[in-house]
Parts: sequence; structure tokens; C-alpha cells
Amino acid sequence: MKLRVYAIAYLIFLYAPIILLPIFAFNDATIIAFPLSGFTTEWFAELTQNRALHAAVQNSLIIAVCTAVFATILGLCAARAGAMSDFPGKKGITGFIMLPLVLPEIIVAVALLVILRQVLGLSLGNWTIIMAHVLICTPFSIAILNGAFGALDPSMEEAALDLGESRWSAFRLVTLPLVMPGIISSMLISFTISLDEFIIAFFLTGSNPTMPVYIWGLLRFPKSLPVIMALGTILVALSVILLTIAEIFRRRGVRRAGGTDTGGFL
Amino acid sequence: MTDLIKLRGVDKYYGDYHALRDINLTIRAGEFFSLLGPSGCGKTTLLRVIAGFEGVSGGTVMISDKDMADVPPNQRPTNMVFQSYAIFPHLSVGENVAFGLRKSGLNKADKASAVEEALSMVGLAGYGKRAAHALSGGQRQRVALARALILKPKVLLLDEPLSALDKKMREHMQVELIRLQRAVGITFILVTHDQEEALVMSDRIAVMFAGEIGQLDDPETLYRRPNSRRVAEFIGKMNFLPGRVTATGDTITLDIAGFGVTDVPAVQAPEGATLGEAAIGIRPETLAILFDGEKASRHEAAAVVDEVVYYGDMTYYDVRVNNVPEPLTIAMKNMIGRPVLDVGAQTRIAWDERAIVVF
Amino acid sequence: MAKFATLTQDQTRSIKLLGLPLVYALLLLAVPLGAIVLFSFWTQDFMTVDTTFTTANYREIYDSPIYGLLLQRSLMVSGIVTAVTVLLAYPVAYFISFHVHPSKKSIWLFLITIPFWTSYLIRVFLWKVILGYNGVINSGLLQLGIIDEPLTFILYNVNAVIITLAHAFAPFAILPIFVVLEKIDRSLLEASQDLGESKFSTFLRVTLPLSMPGVVGAVLIVFIPTIGDYVTPELMGGAGGKLIANMIQTQFLQLNNAPLGAALAIVAMLCVTAISLIFVFLNRKYLRGRT
Ligand SMILES: Nc1ncnc2c1ncn2[C@@H]1O[C@H](COP(=O)(O)OP(=O)(O)OP(=O)(O)O)[C@@H](O)[C@H]1O
Ligand SMILES: [Mg+2]
Repeated sequence: MKLRVYAIAYLIFLYAPIILLPIFAFNDATIIAFPLSGFTTEWFAELTQNRALHAAVQNSLIIAVCTAVFATILGLCAARAGAMSDFPGKKGITGFIMLPLVLPEIIVAVALLVILRQVLGLSLGNWTIIMAHVLICTPFSIAILNGAFGALDPSMEEAALDLGESRWSAFRLVTLPLVMPGIISSMLISFTISLDEFIIAFFLTGSNPTMPVYIWGLLRFPKSLPVIMALGTILVALSVILLTIAEIFRRRGVRRAGGTDTGGFL
Repeated sequence: MTDLIKLRGVDKYYGDYHALRDINLTIRAGEFFSLLGPSGCGKTTLLRVIAGFEGVSGGTVMISDKDMADVPPNQRPTNMVFQSYAIFPHLSVGENVAFGLRKSGLNKADKASAVEEALSMVGLAGYGKRAAHALSGGQRQRVALARALILKPKVLLLDEPLSALDKKMREHMQVELIRLQRAVGITFILVTHDQEEALVMSDRIAVMFAGEIGQLDDPETLYRRPNSRRVAEFIGKMNFLPGRVTATGDTITLDIAGFGVTDVPAVQAPEGATLGEAAIGIRPETLAILFDGEKASRHEAAAVVDEVVYYGDMTYYDVRVNNVPEPLTIAMKNMIGRPVLDVGAQTRIAWDERAIVVF
Repeated sequence: MAKFATLTQDQTRSIKLLGLPLVYALLLLAVPLGAIVLFSFWTQDFMTVDTTFTTANYREIYDSPIYGLLLQRSLMVSGIVTAVTVLLAYPVAYFISFHVHPSKKSIWLFLITIPFWTSYLIRVFLWKVILGYNGVINSGLLQLGIIDEPLTFILYNVNAVIITLAHAFAPFAILPIFVVLEKIDRSLLEASQDLGESKFSTFLRVTLPLSMPGVVGAVLIVFIPTIGDYVTPELMGGAGGKLIANMIQTQFLQLNNAPLGAALAIVAMLCVTAISLIFVFLNRKYLRGRT
């Protein structure tokens, strides 16, 4: 009982900051402080006017979509290999691919900055961020897809082979539909991570900032804070929706492949 | 019958592990063939080698006189019923059964009637629209059978297809499988570790131990004339007595501890049996306790009851016979008017030299 | 090589499949990491990089007190954040694993992970709103009459950084502990009570030791990444709350001294790795026989 109270208090602690977002987003005052002064939708209206923000959002969306697709493709390869026979060195290779999960993001950021700018002399742009985001999203994709492939009976694909399908069509007709929920979940998670990622994007962004980089710029100007609150409200709502869909698909995937569900992401 | 599958000198290694050792095997068209053996002896591996899921490390696999070395599983005239059945959960029963017909060139109506025919063959007529994941174990197995048989393979491979079912269902499906095999005339190769199942269902059985075939025979020969102690011990129960071969020829003269001297035909001993020490095997049901007034038709010996295990329809006695080192097990049918003896009771037992196997 | 000669088809296919992500990770992780190691032994000469091998950067880091101070502070902050998050997280993970009905477990985990995925920058910034001079806490306490002047020790210092980071990494700590707790065979706990231990001593003698791999995992997965965060100290730390990551960022993006920045990044990584290895070593008896 005491534990339950503690756990609920902990949840409140986790959500405390987020709950403030909509409160101040609709608050009719330029300073972010209590007491509240009144209701307004002015800050949301202002969002629709901001050209620079629109450009940043567009950039971020492009980056996030590309990241989601590429990271999931790499994740599919690794997770499928993970479900096959072991070979000498497989654990080590998988561990290396999962490394970005624990590497401080700043290390990834500076390492890529050095190689791209100083060594190769390339100019930065959306594609440099995409490359970095694919690197850090792949481990998450692998973790999710491992769940989907792990729950899959290996004789499913053999049965399709046995019934006359080629290796590729067996994969396409049997394995792919069965892990599809995992793929969707992986794409949504990668999309969310990329959309939100700041530390690396700040280092690798070119002349066109991504949305978090743009927000970072805004944070200096007290005048723009209510607008950030409005933007944050939208972003949080969006991520919650995306994550809920991702979770529904992940669970459906595990169930479809015949496993029992125990954990969340990771 | 013509030979359908020929394995010649097949070896299979998993890394350093020698899973199949020089397997030579011929399986005839239309027969019900079983691979029987203890867990880990390589039955599944052998089946997967025939299906093409595992390559061989040495030797050849021929089906219909065609070398299968470069033929992938999807082009072999074999189909498999997997141990887990591998029913595709995202498809309906009908779609599962029709799965292999995708490239058959049949039109929709022909496919539908082929599916219906296959389903009714396994007793699932009208189940086509059902969702596959909502089926019971027995139904899944029937779907797996229909899905494989609809392609009219030359060989149907079944990897412990009955092991996931409860005892009643298993016995029922054994009969169904025999009936089905007779109806379609396709060669069935069944993997099982259940000796009774193999004896009931098969035309011929290969008994495997540690990657080798120990004996290949029809069920009766296998049971009555096991060619080695390990086969004899694996299939049914057998008593072993020390003995000596004192003369060879068309008949073999034995001197059996506790039982004395007797002659048996040469077929009851291994080929080229030599004079000297031998193990004598006698199955429990070929021995009998002699109750008051009963007489042995061939031979008898005095015995003392050492242990009694009552099974309802049967009673198993362990009896001691003078000069026999180990107690002998005797299986007796419980018949009306026949008492169950107590431990320590003095009795006589009957034995028959025709039931003896010499090792 | 003899081993590779006997690879099965399945193994060959699995190697080929793993090849793509491996090549990607090699090109975008191993090569760049190698590059910063190389860079750290070079020096910046105004606009160009002098590629003669030198340990000058490392000597400078060793000699100027500012780097040592920042590094020390970073490690301390990461250490405290890790301790706080893991200690606070353990009971929650325990609660979900042992007291929540199995059908409700994934919804709890989902609720816990959601804040982790939502707009990091804005979340950090919100703590500024909560802890700030006119923030939620101060304005609330003022209105309630508990304080007369806004509290100042809660923003623009190390405390604020710690609170914010602890909040940001909370889900990271819960998940590994939860996963290990889930794997504990419940009959072991019954066995312990059957052998005369109380509930609490069962926890101390059975549950806690068995869950240590999860605790170690949680510690590593919080401790290592927190070193690399420069957003929180920048927004919350004020002048006295800056950390090594801020310095690395400054060297790269403002002072344009990539070699020194690279050396700093490497020193920071080495310290974190060394501390992590020592920590794993100290807990080795709990990790034996597991992966
Ligand atoms: N892919 C593999 N890699 C390595 N060893 C294997 C592999 N498949 C099987 N083996 C080994 O080969 C031996 C034979 O396995 P197999 O599955 O053929 O046994 P089985 O007779 O079917 O046993 P069971 O009755 O338990 O199914 C076992 O010792 C097994 O561990
Ligand atoms: Mg098997």
C-alpha cells in the first residue's frame, strides 16, 4: 500500500513539468508565473504566423521521416540476423551496433562533426543530422524488432519455404506481415526520437535549423516563452499520440506472433 | 514397391558435433516409415536433411533417383508437418491451406474446391473461413496436414506431430493418420520418440541412436528379433540372462543360467554367432507364472516372487530363479479366478525357447 | 579460419544481414571516434589544424585547473544524479513487478516512459519555470505565506542541474531494474520464507542480490549519458553550474578549437569508462553467470 502511494507520487513527479505546459499555453500573460491571469488562444495563433518556425518544423519532419525509415531498415537487418544462428563474434558485433544507446550524445556529436567538417570538409545540412539520428535510433529499432522476431516461431518461414515459396517471398508473405506491427512501432519511436533530438542536431545543423534548435534559440527571449509553451503543448500531445499508437502496434505484434507481453520499450 | 528416397553415407556435422553418422537408408514409395529414437539422437536432423532445410556434410540424398544436393526445400517433392504446426496466424484456415497453391496456376474456383477437398479429407470441412489462431491443437494439426497434402507431395514429413496432443487425442489421431496415409497413398516419414506410436503406425521403423541407425525393420521383426541390446531395451522391456553358446550350426545350443540347456533355430541368434559367453533376452510377456494345476507347454523353472506391481489389467512380477543373478520380470494378464501372488510366494514359471533372443 | 569453413547457410545469411548495420556503425561511429582520438593529438593553429603529433592538449587539460574542476564537478553531478535516480526508481520498479497485476504492468511502464520521449528541451526549460525566481514553487509558497522572499538556492546552481537531470533520466533507471525483477523466480521468495526468513530479510537476502544486475545496468545507463548533457547545465546551472560538456561544446562551436575539444571529450569518456568498469568490477559477484 505504501509502495503504491510512493509509485503514484513518483508518477506525479514525472508528469509535473508537462502538466504545466497547457496551463501556461492558454494563460493570458507574457511572464510564465503564477498566479494565472486569464484564458487566451493568442499564443497558438502566433505559432501559425511564424515563418521561421514552419521552416524548422518542415526540416525536422523530413529528418525524422528519413531517420525512421533508415533506422528501421538497419534494425530489421540486425534483428533478423539476431533471430538466426549464432556465429563466432555475433555478440560482439551486436554489442557494438547497440553502443550508441549508452554513449553520451555529445561524443557522437563531436566525433561526427570532426569527421564531416574537419576531415572530409563537407558542409553540414539535413543529411548530416539524418546520418547521426539513424545511428542513435538503430539500437532502439533493434530492441523493438528483437521483441517481434523473438516471438516468431522459426518454423513459420520454413513452412512457407516448404510449401514452395522462395526465400524472399517466404519473408514477404509470412515474416513481414507478422513483424509489421513491430516495424510500425520502430518507425514511430525513431520518428519521435529524431523529432525531439537536440544535442546532436545543434552540432550538425547547417544553415537551416531543426525545430529543437530553433526552440533553443527562442529560449533566450523571454517574450517568446508563451509561444514556446503553446508549441510544447502541441508537441507533447503529438508525441503522446504517436507513442500510444506505437505501443498498441508493439503489443499487437508480440501477440500476433504468439508471445506474451511483459515489458515496454527497451 | 519402388524405392523413393535413398540416403547414401549421409554425414552431418554441427560445428564439431557429429549429428548424423554415415546414414544409409532406403525408403519405398507409399510406405509409412518411422524414425524412432531417444531425444537428441538426430531424428529431426535427418528429417530436415531430407526436406532440404539442412545441408549434408557428406554423402548423398536422392529422391526418385535425383540427387537433391542443389535442390532447395521449396523445390523438393516433400512437404512437412512441423512439430509446432507453424500455422500462419495472420491467415484464415482456408488461406493457410491454399498457401502452397499460389504459383500453381489454378483459378480461384479450382483453388477453392481444392481447399475444400483437402479440408474435408482431414475432417475440417467448412472451416475455411475460421481464423487460424482460434483453433485447438488437434485442429491445427489437421490444418497443417491439409496444407501439406493439398500439394500432393511424394513424401510427407512429420516431426513428432502428435506430441503436443493429450493422450486421448493422440490415440485418435494415430488412427486418423493411418487412414489418411492409406487413402492418399503418399509416403509418410514420421519422427517420434514414442515406441508404441511407431509400432502401431509404421510399415517399417528405423531405430536411431546417437546419429546412427541401430536397426531397420518392420514392427514385428523389430520387436521379436531386436539385433542389439540397446534396441531391445529401447523397444518394450526385456529380461537379460547370462548364458553360453555351446554349439552352432542350423540350430544353436545354449546353456542358460538357471534354465539349463536348450536348442534354438539360428535365426534367433546374430549371424555368425560364435561359441562362448552370450546374453540371453526374454520378453516379460513370453514368460508366465504357473498357478496351481497349470502345466508348462515347453519348459518350467522354480521361482520366488520378489516384487509385485499391480496395473489393473496386468500384474508385473519380479521373480528370482536359482542361479539367475537378476530378478526376471513377468507380465501376466489378470484373468478371472487367477489370484495375485504375494511377495515371497514359492511358484513355478513357464518359458519357451522360441521366444529367446541371443545377443 | 577452420571454423569459418564449416559455417552453415543460416550462419552465412545472418552474417550478411548483420553486415549492413555493422558497416554503418563502423563508418559513422568507429571511424569518427578514431578521428577524434587522432585530432586530440593535433593542435589548432588559428584557422588550420597543425597535424604534428603532440600531447599538448592533454598537458593543457592537466595543467589548467578549470578543466579538472569541470570534470570533477561533472563526475560528481553524474554520480549524485545516478544515485538519486536509481534509489528513487528501485521501489517503483519493485512495486510494478511485485504488486501490479500482470495485465496492468505494461500500462504502468508506458506511463513511466511517456515523459521520457516528450520534447527534452521544453521539459528542461519547464524546470526553470518551476524552480525560477518567479517560478511555480516560489510564487506558490509566497502566496501561501510560507516565505516572504523568493528562494534563490533552487535555480542557477548545481542543485537545479541535479534535480532536472534526475527527472530526465528516471525512466532509464526503472526499466533495467524492472526487467531483472520480472525474471526472478517467485518460488525462490517462497522458499526463503519457508526457510524461516521474514518478508524483509527475504528481500535483503534474496530479492536484492538477485536484482543487482538490473541495478548495475540502471547505474550505467544513467551515469554514462548524463556526462554528455550540456542542455541542462546551460539552462539551469548558471555560472557555477557549468559542466565538462559545456566546455566541450564551447571548444568546438565557439572557440573553434576542435583538437582541445576532442581531447576533453576523450578524457571525459575515459573517466566515465574507468568509473563504470570499477563499478562493474565491484559488483562482479552479482553478475556472474548472467549476461
Ligand atoms: N542447429 C543446430 N546446431 C547445433 N547443434 C544442433 C542443431 N540442431 C540440432 N543439434 C544437435 O544435434 C543433435 C540431434 O538433434 P535433433 O534435433 O536431430 O534430435 P532429435 O532426435 O530430433 O531429438 P528430440 O527428440 O529431442 O527432438 C542434438 O544433440 C542437438 O543438440
Ligand atoms: Mg526432434
